[in-house]
Formats: sequence, structure tokens, C-alpha cells
Amino acid sequence: MNRSLRTRRQLSSLVMMTLSVGATLFGLGFLAMILGTLIFEGLAGLKLSIFTQMTPPPGSKGGLLNAIAGSLVMTTGGVVIGAPIGMLAGIYMAEYGHGTRFTIIVRFINDILLSAPSIIIGLFVYEIYVAEVHHFSGVAGIIALAIMVVPVVVRTTEDMLLLVPGTLKEAAAAMGLPRSIFIRRIAMRAARAGLVTGVLLAVARVSGETAPLLFTALSNQFWSWNINSPIANLPMVIFNFALSPYKDWQQLAWTGALLITCAVLALSITARVLSAQGNRK
Amino acid sequence: MTAEPALVQKVTIRDLKFFYGDSLALKSINLPLYERKVTAFIGPSGCGKSTLLRVLNRMYDLYPRQRAEGEVLLDGDDILAPTTDINLLRSRIGMVFQKPTPFPMSIYDNIAFGIKLYERLSKAELDNRVEGALRSAALWDEVKDKLKSSGLSLSGGQQQRLCIARTVAIQPEVILLDEPASALDPISTAKIEELIDELSSRYTIAVVTHNMQQAARVSDYTAFMYLGSLIEFGETPKIFTAPQQKQTQDYITGRFG
Amino acid sequence: MAEHIVRSFDNELEVLGRSIAEMGGLAEKMLSDAMEALSRLDTDLAQHVVATDPRLDALQRTIEEQAILTIARRQPMAVDLREIVAAIRVSGDLERVGDLAKNIAKRAMKIAGEVRMPRALIGLRHMSDMAALQLKDVLDAYAQRDEARARAVWLRDGDLDALDDSVFRDLLTFMMEDPRNISFCTHLLFCSKNIERVGDHATNIAETVVYLVSGNTLPTERPKGRGGLRGDLG
Repeated sequence: MNRSLRTRRQLSSLVMMTLSVGATLFGLGFLAMILGTLIFEGLAGLKLSIFTQMTPPPGSKGGLLNAIAGSLVMTTGGVVIGAPIGMLAGIYMAEYGHGTRFTIIVRFINDILLSAPSIIIGLFVYEIYVAEVHHFSGVAGIIALAIMVVPVVVRTTEDMLLLVPGTLKEAAAAMGLPRSIFIRRIAMRAARAGLVTGVLLAVARVSGETAPLLFTALSNQFWSWNINSPIANLPMVIFNFALSPYKDWQQLAWTGALLITCAVLALSITARVLSAQGNRK
Repeated sequence: MTAEPALVQKVTIRDLKFFYGDSLALKSINLPLYERKVTAFIGPSGCGKSTLLRVLNRMYDLYPRQRAEGEVLLDGDDILAPTTDINLLRSRIGMVFQKPTPFPMSIYDNIAFGIKLYERLSKAELDNRVEGALRSAALWDEVKDKLKSSGLSLSGGQQQRLCIARTVAIQPEVILLDEPASALDPISTAKIEELIDELSSRYTIAVVTHNMQQAARVSDYTAFMYLGSLIEFGETPKIFTAPQQKQTQDYITGRFG
Repeated sequence: MAEHIVRSFDNELEVLGRSIAEMGGLAEKMLSDAMEALSRLDTDLAQHVVATDPRLDALQRTIEEQAILTIARRQPMAVDLREIVAAIRVSGDLERVGDLAKNIAKRAMKIAGEVRMPRALIGLRHMSDMAALQLKDVLDAYAQRDEARARAVWLRDGDLDALDDSVFRDLLTFMMEDPRNISFCTHLLFCSKNIERVGDHATNIAETVVYLVSGNTLPTERPKGRGGLRGDLG
């Protein structure tokens, strides 16, 4: 090879490499700072009472039990309602309506919903439900979270089912299997890891959301299982406590944030592991 | 030489045309598949041999904008007729594909699954049928101790034989093989070929292959197709030693330009 | 015929064809030399024929090895397969023709000192001319892939058989006339049998050429119209 050409290529390679490594370090640096601060501040307040006591009035001791419980209830509720709807829609789009104009439109709208600011979803539920029944409630929070779960699950379900090899579909058809049996017994099974991953990602996505809850579930200082009334939840508690002037509330906010981060991280890792297993087959 | 029993046309293809959208992929094919004989389809990629195979079990129904004209008679009944029960048809005409396609379930279930679709059997009867199918696919000895493990845990060659066992299990009359060994190593290929030989005593078999030697080895009849037309059909020994058509000769001797 | 996509395949077939042509030329030369040696009782020429035979054998072995290698390497089909099978068969026949010529040459050396009746050789001379013509014709038919010419050779073999019969009768007569003739006439009998066999090999090659060109095999029995055992030349 021509010598000057080689030098030039090596030079441009060096420049591009420097730029990309720099950009990566820039991003990673901020991530490290955020996580560092979070862990440093959050760990300071992490003790058993966090999981056993209610959120306290300013100046007294307390924990986050009611917020953790409320978050669990609403996230579970949102996923239980949203995931099946999303899956059914995804199955329709991948198996029955594949390639049709209707599916293309639905997918487009779903993608918009997927990237819609979550506060709009909160406002929407406020408008159609909270304003009608005249009070904030856990139900409203669940509805808002379910609406957020649906597009994530639709997308992953469709994608995962489309990844099921066409040859498998033909092989099933060649045995005279009706489509419904193929979907239930074979496609869903082949895509199982991917489908579970989708749901886990949806859980991760909604478990840290504050904005949709601001207008729906609001929050509650006290223990409450009544989903028909305002209910405590981690994001809102963090939001309220972090903005407060009280030192001990701020500490609880940091610890709550650490808990959510860890939970989301755990979910993401589980999802990754599952999908890696799914791919290996 | 013993006297051959008279040939029976299990499948008769008459003036078959096939369209992908507007483009004509098969141009008036006329061809018999003889009962309990192996018919091989050879020809360059895109000649329509796989398309023809996929007409025989109406696989093309899965896709919009694909349609067939003409007649394909199975024991005298036109399978292209709109009244044909496609799932029933596919239980009579089984198909095995190029890439092994075990279902994501245990080896046992891979086979039992299809049987249960068509028949209600007791556990013992079902066990029997599964064993029989695995035996006729020459796989039983290799898997009898791990029937509960996933079909995907088998080697490529074993997976392909599992697929053949699965097809045999629902007791079809015709078996279509679409390049069944092209993704396999020579030993696995030999096993598949041996299997085809054994199955031909019970089933009518059509096999598409890119490997001419394979066609010469396994088949009784050979059809050479080119650009959507059937160029030559005849007894395999004749086709591979003294074909009548120049195009056939050029193709099988590697003279295509 | 169009060329193969793999050009080295064409090369291999060409080399085979050339080797066959070389063998054919050599066998023809050996046969004519042997007959020449017999009619002139020329021991030097006879010696030369005997010395040529190993070359023919070596050529045949090379052709066979080449052919087997090509089968293993190319898995030839249809006309290519027939081509290679033909090469093996023709080279075998030619090698036998060489052996027969060698045998004639050896007998020529043996009887060089004792021939008393040159006229006994006339019929043999006639036979060998005819056999040489058959051989030349069939080799041309092979080289030109001429099925009609090969069939003609095949049909003409009866003539040679008939000639062999008449030579047989002549030699028998000579032997009865004078028992001192028996020794060399017996040698000549064997020579005529050898020439007749050369004709058989030419016929074999003719059958091979028909198979090579058309893929058809000729019937095992030749029609016995012309020639025949007691034919018009008898």
C-alpha cells in the first residue's frame, strides 16, 4: 500500500478514536457522578427503619414503608392491567395484522405513546378520571401507569414475535397446525424470554415515574391500602421530601431514590440475562 | 429382476401455473408423483423447484399475493380447490424444511404435539406412536434416554431427523423434503439419505436438492426445472447418464453459463 | 459441447482424450509392425514390437488412474460420465490389442527359421489388413464422436470372423498335406485367432462409442446377416 495513504488513514483513525473515546468518557463521567452522589447520600440514611416505619412529619423519625408498599401496589396494578392489553395488541400486530395498513398506523401511534412525556399521561388521566370522581386515588395512578406499560409491551411483544423464525411458522403450518395453536403453543414459547423481558422493562420504566402520579395518586403521609384514595408512593415522596427544607426529609428522599435505582437496575439486569438466554437457543 | 408393481400416480400436476404477485414463477407444469417412489427436483436457484413443492401442501396460502392456477390432484381430488380443508391436506402431505425446525419443547412433545392434534390417544398408545416415529427416523437409540430434554439441545442432523419423525408421526401419505440435508455435515446427510430410502417403501416422497449426486443417489425419478419450466422428467438413472435435453445435460455436467 | 464452468475439468477430459489417441496410434503401429514382422519373418521388427508393449501398458495405467481421479474429484454426470467410462473401456481394449500384436510378434520370432509356405500367410495378411482398417475406423469414430461410423464397424465384424474361418480351413489343409507344416501352421492358427480378437476389440470400442455418443447400449447379439460364420467370403 502507498505509504502516505497509510499514514493518512492511521491519522484519521487516531483522530476519530480520540473523539469517540472522549465522548464516551464524557457521558460515563456524568453517570459516575450521579450514581456516586446518589450512593453516597442514599447509603447514609439506609437503615432497617426505612422498611418498617411510615413517612414521618418533619423533625421526627420515620421510614418509607407506606411509600414502598404504595409503589408496589400501583406498579403491580399497572402491569397486571397494561401488560395483557399490550401483549394481545402485539400478538395481533405480529401475527394477524402483519404488514397491513392498520398495523402500520397502530405501530406509529404506539411509538408516539411510547415517547410521550409521562406528565401528559398524568394530565390525561386527571382529566378523564380524577376530575370526574373529584378526588385523587390509587386507581387513577394505576390507570396512568397501565397506559404507560401498554406501548412498551406492545412494542416488545411485536418485535419478539417477529423474531420467531418464519421457518418455525411454516413448519407448524406444514403440520396442519391452526394459527391460534401455533401462537399459543409455539410462538409464545419460542419468544418467552423476550416477552418476559418486555414486561420487566415496562416495570422498570414505570416504577420510577413521578409525573403521572402527581396528578393521579398524589401521595399520602399515612399507611393506606385503599386504592380509592390517595396513596403513598416512592417517586412522589422523593419529589415532596427533596423539595422540602427539612434535613431528615431530604435524607429520606436520597435513600428512596437509591432504592428505586437499585430496583430498576435489578430489573434491567434480569431482563438482560433473560434475553441473552433467549438468544442463545 | 422382479416384476415391478404398476406405477400409481399419487399426485398429478396438470398445467400448473404459479404467481408471485404479477410475476409468473411456474409456467404450466405437468408432472406425476408416483406412489411409494422418490421424485427429486433439481435445477438452479430460482428455477421454481421449491415453489412447486410449496404448492403441493399449499404453503403459499400463508402469504398474500401468491396464487396457483391449474390442477394438482391428490388421489384424484384437486387440492387447489377453494373447498380443500388446508389443515387436513397438510396432515396428508407433510413437509420437512432446509433448516431444522424443532419446536421449543421437549423431544417427546415435539412428536406427541402433532399426533394429539389429530387423534385422542391414551398415554401408552401415545408413547408407542412417539417411539415408532423416532424409530422410523432412526433417532430412537440416540434420544430414548433424554426424551424430556429440549428438542433444541440436539445436533443439527438429529434435529432434522426429529423433524422427519414429527412429520412421519402424523402418518401422512406424501412427504415433501425441501433441501433436507443442505445444512448438514456429510455423515448426517448420509443418515438422512438412508432414511429417505427407508421411508420410500411406505410414502410417496418429493425432494428438492441442490446436490445432484444426492438426487442421483436417493431418487427413482428426477425432474429438471429451469426458469419456472419443467425441462425434463424421467427415471433417475436415465437423467443422470443420458439425459434427452441439452439444458439438462449442460446443468448436470456443470456447463451452465 | 459448451465448456465446463470449472475449466480444469475440461483440461482433464482433454488430457484423457489425447492419451487415448496416443494409445490408439501405438496399438495400430504395433499391429501393423507385428504383421510386417510375420510376413517378412523379421525378428528385429518383432523384437521392436515386443519392446513397445510396456509403453502401451503404462499409458493404459495412466489413463485409468486419471479417470478414477476425475470420477473421485468431479463426480461426473451424463456425457462426462460416459466420456470417462468410455476412456477406461477403450484404453482396456487397446491394451489388449497391443498384447495380441505382441503375441503375433513373438510367434513370428519363433517360426522365423521354419516357414516353408509363404502362401499360407496370404489369408492372414488379408485378415490383418481388415482388422487394421476396423481399428482405424473405430478410432476415428471415437475421435469424431461419430455414432454412424461406429455402428458400421460393429456390423462389419462378421466379415472378419468369416475370413478367420476360411484361414482356419486353409491352414488345416496345409497341415493335412504335410505333417511337417503342423508346427508353424499351428502358430499361424493362433495368429489368425489373435487378429480375429483384434476385430472383437474394435467391435467393443464401437459399442463404447455408440454408448458415449447416444447413451444407448447396442444389443448383445449382432445381427447375423452380412458375413456370418459361413458368409460370402468363405
